[in-house]
Amino acid sequence: MDAIRTWGLTKNYGRRTALRGIDLSVPAGPVCGYLGPNGAGKTTTIRLLVGLLRPTSGAAAVFGHDTVRDRERAQRLVGYLPGEFVAYPDLTAGRYLEHLGRLRGGADPSAVARLAERLDLDLTARIGTLSHGNRQKVGIVQAFAHDPPLLILDEPTAGLDPIAQREFLAMVREARDRGRTVFLSSHVLSEVEAVADRVAMLSQGRLLVTEAVDKLKSRAQRRIDLIFDTDPPEEPLRAVPEVRSCTVAGRAVHLMVEGSTARLLQVAAPHRVVSVVTHEPDLEEIFVNYYSREVPQP
Amino acid sequence: MTVFLKSLRDQRRGIIGWSVGIAALVLLESAMWPTVRDMPDLDAFVANYPEALRKLFDLDNFASGAGFINAELFSAVLPVLFIIFAVGRGVRLVAGEEEAGTLDIVLVTPVTPARFLAEQAAALATSLAALGVVLWSTAALCSAAFGLGVRPLDLAGACLSMVLLGAEFGALALAVGALTGRRAAAVAVPAVAAVAAYVLFVAGQLVDAVKGWQPLSPFHQALEGGPIGAGLPGRYLWLVAGAAAVIIAAAPVFTRRDIGAAR
Ligand SMILES: Nc1ncnc2c1ncn2[C@@H]1O[C@H](COP(=O)(O)OP(=O)(O)O)[C@@H](O)[C@H]1O
Ligand SMILES: [Mg+2]
Repeated sequence: MDAIRTWGLTKNYGRRTALRGIDLSVPAGPVCGYLGPNGAGKTTTIRLLVGLLRPTSGAAAVFGHDTVRDRERAQRLVGYLPGEFVAYPDLTAGRYLEHLGRLRGGADPSAVARLAERLDLDLTARIGTLSHGNRQKVGIVQAFAHDPPLLILDEPTAGLDPIAQREFLAMVREARDRGRTVFLSSHVLSEVEAVADRVAMLSQGRLLVTEAVDKLKSRAQRRIDLIFDTDPPEEPLRAVPEVRSCTVAGRAVHLMVEGSTARLLQVAAPHRVVSVVTHEPDLEEIFVNYYSREVPQP
Repeated sequence: MTVFLKSLRDQRRGIIGWSVGIAALVLLESAMWPTVRDMPDLDAFVANYPEALRKLFDLDNFASGAGFINAELFSAVLPVLFIIFAVGRGVRLVAGEEEAGTLDIVLVTPVTPARFLAEQAAALATSLAALGVVLWSTAALCSAAFGLGVRPLDLAGACLSMVLLGAEFGALALAVGALTGRRAAAVAVPAVAAVAAYVLFVAGQLVDAVKGWQPLSPFHQALEGGPIGAGLPGRYLWLVAGAAAVIIAAAPVFTRRDIGAAR
């Protein structure tokens, strides 16, 4: 059975349509990234899945439980991190997590302690005094604490420092290895690449494609700048199959690379590269590229 | 009852503050009684007030301890304070949590919106009751200390009417919060309703043509014939029913509507 399934899921806010007929199916098991630029409808989808919003039309189910008719049953199976996580500022992190544990009918306090320790979160500090990153850690701990079969995380790494980010990604992988399903949204490809097995791509309320990450990676175009100590070896660089374009400006070379950069770096290395700068591919660019390939241009 | 207990815990400081304030107010007013009682021309003094005010505050009984406390505290000041307290809590407990964003996580647990609303209503009722007990015990002590001669049982009925009046408008704040998720609406609707109810009560007191409509006003239900000295009138049940009705009416909408979408 799919961990998440939606049928023609549509959501309007007043007259504005935020989500148009999403048919999503997330099998139990692998980590699924939900990728789309800001305003694409990721948060709307997620709030529908956890039962905070009602579909305008269509339906969604979590492990077969309809998120409207069978909401409480569906919610029991979910650990949820909202896009803007807010906890009671006057409670300490520890008390807050205890409170949620009781609402869920008793969570394991040792699990909370273990997660907090991993993320280096001080449970005795009042939430109101915590930095944004530390509050986000509280949100992550509460989502993982009861070890739910499905984790639905809305832009989980927002505000986390790099060490906590790495720890979080490890937690996601471990959850997957324990048989949990993780569904996480992001507007940054690299974040999803780092942990997801599959990616669903969303733009302007429409689901564009669901695809294995490897395949997506092989199609993503990255801008790379190489700076050499001597004159750049333009011809060999152009000859690398993944290189789509190449312009030389003095000792700097600006390249567009599609897919793996391994071969390019192999070719460049012997020529005394001083520095390599890779630019995060723009999501819109990926989408445009994706479509310009799917739909032949006239 | 976790939501309920947490709300009570959150409110403990507020309840203590309000208790001290109300106790101080009761003490100050009661301490004036011996002076007022001994005023040689008290009746003439009262007779100077316009007819309307005499009716409204039942000033013709001003020369008795119960009448004095009714006029000074239970006719206007305490009702307003109890309503402000209750509406303030009511707004925070549902609309406040939703606007702040803390409601999201709570409602993605086995806690349903209806249960959340019910537990918050119970928390509001409990804190109002606590304030009512504080009012009753200080008023009873002060009555004995300053010779007001109000029987504790009569006082209990009056304190109950304050609690129920607060509960009515506090429940309205909770219910509007549950219906809309907006703090502004959850403040505005009970405030307008309270003013309208008070105007209806006053008009009924002064204008015979309106008299027939007066029982619709919660102020009439709470204050008519006292409240000290009115005993335990069946009218109080209207206040209980009103509070329960708005909560029960709001629950199914709260269960079905989008959470956090109005932000
Ligand atoms: N509560 C709301 N009321 C009105 N419009 C909204 C609301 N929430 C989101 N939207 C609109 O719906 C679209 C999708 O938003 P959202 O789901 O938050 O996207 P994402 O999470 O991908 O950034 C956006 O155009 C946004 O402006
Ligand atoms: Mg979002």
